[in-house]
Amino acid sequence: MRPVSSQFLLLKATALFVLWIMLSGSFNWIHLLLGATASLLIAWINSGHSPFVPNFRIWGKTILFLPWLFSRIVHSTLHVTKLILNPKLPISPKLLHVKTNLRNRAAVVLLGNSITLTPGTITAEVDDSTLIVHTLDDVSSEDVRSGRLEGKIASVFGNGDTSP
Amino acid sequence: MDVLAVIFILAGLFFLVVAAIGVIRLPDVFTRSHAVSITDSLGAFLMLIGIAIHEGFSLNVLKILAVLALLYLQNPVIAHATVRAALRAGLKPWQREST
Repeated sequence: MRPVSSQFLLLKATALFVLWIMLSGSFNWIHLLLGATASLLIAWINSGHSPFVPNFRIWGKTILFLPWLFSRIVHSTLHVTKLILNPKLPISPKLLHVKTNLRNRAAVVLLGNSITLTPGTITAEVDDSTLIVHTLDDVSSEDVRSGRLEGKIASVFGNGDTSP
Repeated sequence: MDVLAVIFILAGLFFLVVAAIGVIRLPDVFTRSHAVSITDSLGAFLMLIGIAIHEGFSLNVLKILAVLALLYLQNPVIAHATVRAALRAGLKPWQREST
């Protein structure tokens, strides 16, 4: 018998059940019952390890951060599109070593993912405090070099982590 | 409504074609990965939005949004894994000769 942490068990089960309904799309009582059983069972099986503690404050702020990130993604997509369609192909790729002051691992993951998701910059290597970022040219790496992206993520996690 | 959907899908198609051209034109694996990331950032996004508009409001729209969320979560991971593997294998990034 695994130790059951009943904390968030119902929350996890509910999330799984919503996913089930979304994917099955049928509202027969037999399907709903099957889904409810399966989601409760899965939530219970997974309750023993990986203490999952949702921090709703950070989730909310992350969701507010996403529209800004998306506007930057659209901006740099158009830039990279122009670079590719330019007959001269005016690229000057570089490897940048970016120091980060973010200490929270989730914050570093969010930073690396945001960099990779943005066309023109890609995270090639991460250790605790340095990211190696490959960039297509200097315009597309501007947000990374100026620390603007990192500042936004630091304000999501809100510990004043970026102060040097 | 269908006109809007077609506009979105054509716009998505444009970015997909640009990404394909980029993969052919750019010189090495690092720069090519930038071109590929256009695919998920706008190409697939616009196409899926177009399909969602065409579909109208139904359960399938939720599925499309789930696909989109998974795409945005997983594509950076795959791109990062590819580029890191290239870097660790000792591949030197292409550079312009003049610099």
